Amino acid sequence: MPYHEFDCSTTIPERKKHAVVKGPGETLVDALPAGYLNTIPGSISERGCAYCGAKHVIGTPMKDVIHISHGPVGCTYDTWQTKRYISDNDNFQLKYTFASDMKEKHVVFGAEKMLRQNIIEAFKAFPEIKRMSIYQTCASALIGDDIGAVAQGVMDEMPDVDIFVCNSPGFRGPSQSGGHHTINIAWMKDKVGQVEPKITSDYVINYVGEYNIQGDQEVMVDFFKRMGIQVLSTFTGNGSYDDLRAMHRAQLNVLECARSAEYICNELKVRFGIPRLDIEGFGFEPLSASLNKLGMFFGIEDRAKAIVDEETARWKPELDWYKERLKGKRICLWPGGSKLWHWAHVIHEEMGVDVVSVYTKFGHQGDMEKGISRCEEGALAIDDPNELETVEAMLKLKPDLIMTGKRPGEVAKKIRVPYLNIHAYDNGPYKGFEGWVRLARDIYNAIYSPIHQLAFVDISKDEIPTDKGFVTALMRSDKDLPESIKASTEIRPYSGKFDNLVAIRERVYPTFERHNVTAV
Amino acid sequence: MDYVKNEKMELLLDYIMKNCLWQFHSRAWDRKTQNEGILNKLSQLLCDEKVELETSLDKCYWVDAMYLVNSYKERFPWLFSMPKSEIKLLIKELHERMDFLTITGSLNLELTDQHY
Repeated sequence: MPYHEFDCSTTIPERKKHAVVKGPGETLVDALPAGYLNTIPGSISERGCAYCGAKHVIGTPMKDVIHISHGPVGCTYDTWQTKRYISDNDNFQLKYTFASDMKEKHVVFGAEKMLRQNIIEAFKAFPEIKRMSIYQTCASALIGDDIGAVAQGVMDEMPDVDIFVCNSPGFRGPSQSGGHHTINIAWMKDKVGQVEPKITSDYVINYVGEYNIQGDQEVMVDFFKRMGIQVLSTFTGNGSYDDLRAMHRAQLNVLECARSAEYICNELKVRFGIPRLDIEGFGFEPLSASLNKLGMFFGIEDRAKAIVDEETARWKPELDWYKERLKGKRICLWPGGSKLWHWAHVIHEEMGVDVVSVYTKFGHQGDMEKGISRCEEGALAIDDPNELETVEAMLKLKPDLIMTGKRPGEVAKKIRVPYLNIHAYDNGPYKGFEGWVRLARDIYNAIYSPIHQLAFVDISKDEIPTDKGFVTALMRSDKDLPESIKASTEIRPYSGKFDNLVAIRERVYPTFERHNVTAV
Repeated sequence: MDYVKNEKMELLLDYIMKNCLWQFHSRAWDRKTQNEGILNKLSQLLCDEKVELETSLDKCYWVDAMYLVNSYKERFPWLFSMPKSEIKLLIKELHERMDFLTITGSLNLELTDQHY
């Protein structure tokens, strides 16, 4: 597994240790990209900061909370427009965003008094919300404001409110991952164990590392509820502040994004003896295995099997329609962290695409171990790439599609490579059986969209053909397909609704008899 | 280890490395207990031995081991026709290889971090 040096990065020799090509017959002990290190000077990173990782990734998806950034107003930019972690309480946490709006005078004279006023004003403006989280920023950290003391003062004055303080300024750690870590440990230390929950089922879990991007959490919780499992809390998408204070009462922690949330699972295991089960909500086989494992843990395998059988029968023919048309397409799988390994193998097996490169912006070496184990030989694995490296990789690998976030996605567009937003999603949710088909449809539409052909015409010099009609995506995808597949009645394109959450939110769940025995 | 046995072990190993996540916990001590917990139970299940399910942690290991048993049954039927003594040895070698790839030979510098 040789390390890979980009032509554009020969002047930054340290970068060579951050990329490898998965070679035939080689293993993880032959080479592994360096990871979770400070970005090397001279390399323009696509990473976010530790404040962003704490607030905008993990804190803010909590739905019934006033989230305040104690810093300049610009720090709180990411909200309705850029984040899509929706919630079932009319998206309160996305619609309203708060900052103490620090200015130069506060840097000189201190901002604690102003912060206190902000907190009280916010609670008065939204009297139905009694929970708050305050996020330190670089500015308030540097002047040494004691946010914890201010918050405690307000809680003493207003006994019906509770406030969580997260001290994760932007410079705390090499990337947003430092913020994930800080907020995990802070929540565990400051809040878990404060609330005793009402237990309504024999089977109780925390669902951890799930952020409800376009409804992913609601799709997965729907499966759990159909199995009669009580989801005590979700850390943190669509999660409730007080539910998350009761995490210590679950029988099992079910973990999805280990990159952002394994810390709290590990701490819950050490302190409360709650085991951690890593599951996957993406892809038919991994999702089926995950539901079956959960069923086995609680002794309700039949309930899991019923769901898997029903969902597979409904959606597999639609997944296969796309697989026939996506076989051999070259994909760069360039997410932030966990999708690198959640998707690396299953997208190849279930959609037929070839993953020619994986990368991670803020992943650790553990994420690369998982991703490289799962991707096919020949894939280029890159840690914390800079923009020039991603351009070089695209020109060399000639992918049909880049699956990534907004920043590198815009770079891809400039060189006319189709891009799919797999951070905030295009037409998610992508979790669940139906969600996986929605992802296949988005990949299909991205690759075969006629717009990309038009984009290659240089209107300043190329002649625009006027004697040819517009080519549709179907005409392009089916051009070389055998007639037996084109005419097949066994497979079909996606037939779900535009918003597939409506039915889930209206579902009435079965009631299961409780037994007077503990489940484990 | 002879060539055929090595090839069999590699098939079992490849399946785990590609389809499972439990072997990649973040610290060396966790990986050690994960490998031990799940692969010991796998060996017991394949050899029709009694499997301890006293604690919730035991049960969690058992779930991942059962997943492997079912997957292996589907993909590697030869495993189930081997003598139990040979299965035991094969899983022991698999365990040693897993420990090497994920712990003792791992290039992951975070494994020895003392804190989560």
